[in-house]
Amino acid sequence: MSEHPETRDLLGPFVMGDLDPAEKRAVEEHLENCASCRQEVESLRLAHENLVEFAAASEAPPEHLKDRAVAGMPGPAARRLVPPWAAAAAAALLLAAGLAYGTSLLGGREVAAATLEPTDRAPRAGGEVKVMGGGENAEVRLEAWGLPACEGEEYYELWLVEGEERVSAGTFSVGKSGEVEVVLNAPEFADAYPQVGITAETDTDPSPGDAKMLGGKLRGT
Amino acid sequence: MAGVEDEILVRRVAAGDERALGGLYDRYAGLVYGAGTRYLGDRGQAEDLVQDVFLSVWRNADRFDPSRASFSTWVYRITRNRATDLVRRRKARVRTVDGDPPPEPQEPDPSGSLSRGFDVAAALAGLSQTHREVLVLAYFKGLSQREISARTGTPLGTVKSRTTAAMRALREAMSQGPEGG
Repeated sequence: MSEHPETRDLLGPFVMGDLDPAEKRAVEEHLENCASCRQEVESLRLAHENLVEFAAASEAPPEHLKDRAVAGMPGPAARRLVPPWAAAAAAALLLAAGLAYGTSLLGGREVAAATLEPTDRAPRAGGEVKVMGGGENAEVRLEAWGLPACEGEEYYELWLVEGEERVSAGTFSVGKSGEVEVVLNAPEFADAYPQVGITAETDTDPSPGDAKMLGGKLRGT
Repeated sequence: MAGVEDEILVRRVAAGDERALGGLYDRYAGLVYGAGTRYLGDRGQAEDLVQDVFLSVWRNADRFDPSRASFSTWVYRITRNRATDLVRRRKARVRTVDGDPPPEPQEPDPSGSLSRGFDVAAALAGLSQTHREVLVLAYFKGLSQREISARTGTPLGTVKSRTTAAMRALREAMSQGPEGG
């Protein structure tokens, strides 16, 4: 390596195609007789291709976006506490039992999903349900929007449905934004149910209420 | 924040440090935004994607496990998942309004180039300032070696040898970096 430091130093610009003709010719002549530099060129060519691909995949976001995306985050202590809108004791108890915020995004793969369609009670609502994992270790990820905000002791409940059977997949509340994104503890074999639905609830009766807000067919993925 | 390892920044984010989140933003937001414009097709949605991804990083930083995957792999997965969610959500809304489902959305990152981009971003962040500078000027600003020499006031021969060394360091960082599945 030490006998030809100058040529070796040019190999980066060589693979980039950024040498003047005389330098390029000198490098090419050298490569004909130097296996070690030919190997180096192959390695640097990979770096070059990686960088070209990286630059092509990137796009500078607008300057103002950083402030919006980074500043004003909620404090870390608030991350997994029950939010203030769930102050009602009964709802809070249900929430504590049913919710697990921020469950690992690296969890199992998606095994079933449903697109939630609105009912007359919430015509602008919509949502997505995903069952991750499957079997005994599944989790249900719910994202919904356009739902009326909960007031007092109101809360929502997600159900897995098969015929007349209804199995709760957990409860959640919705604030003024009408949007919610939660990870719920999945009942065993959650992915085997053909349908899902969301009802608005106001009591502690474990059976589903009549106020169906969203529903959808669960399909294997 | 330059030169500080991603994993250290994530730990700071988990402790509530917004500046550390800003450091990670500087490294990866361009890829997230680029993915947004490519797969979601409009800049407003791309901005939503960037916000969603970094909010998710903020909320879940304390659950990040470096023994399972590198940060770049983790944030890549978040980006891909969130992009998929946004495409589906838009699809659901459109169907609600029009009655006809739009064409199936393109799967984010079918070629794997976005995934590799996150790996390169991580490796680049770990290089020295001088090495990173020549590569950024060449590949992101499109400057020739001669132009980099003029811009930085560095002799042309030094720019060339530095570029070679920087590319070598990048390859080494990528071959030694933590692998994520």
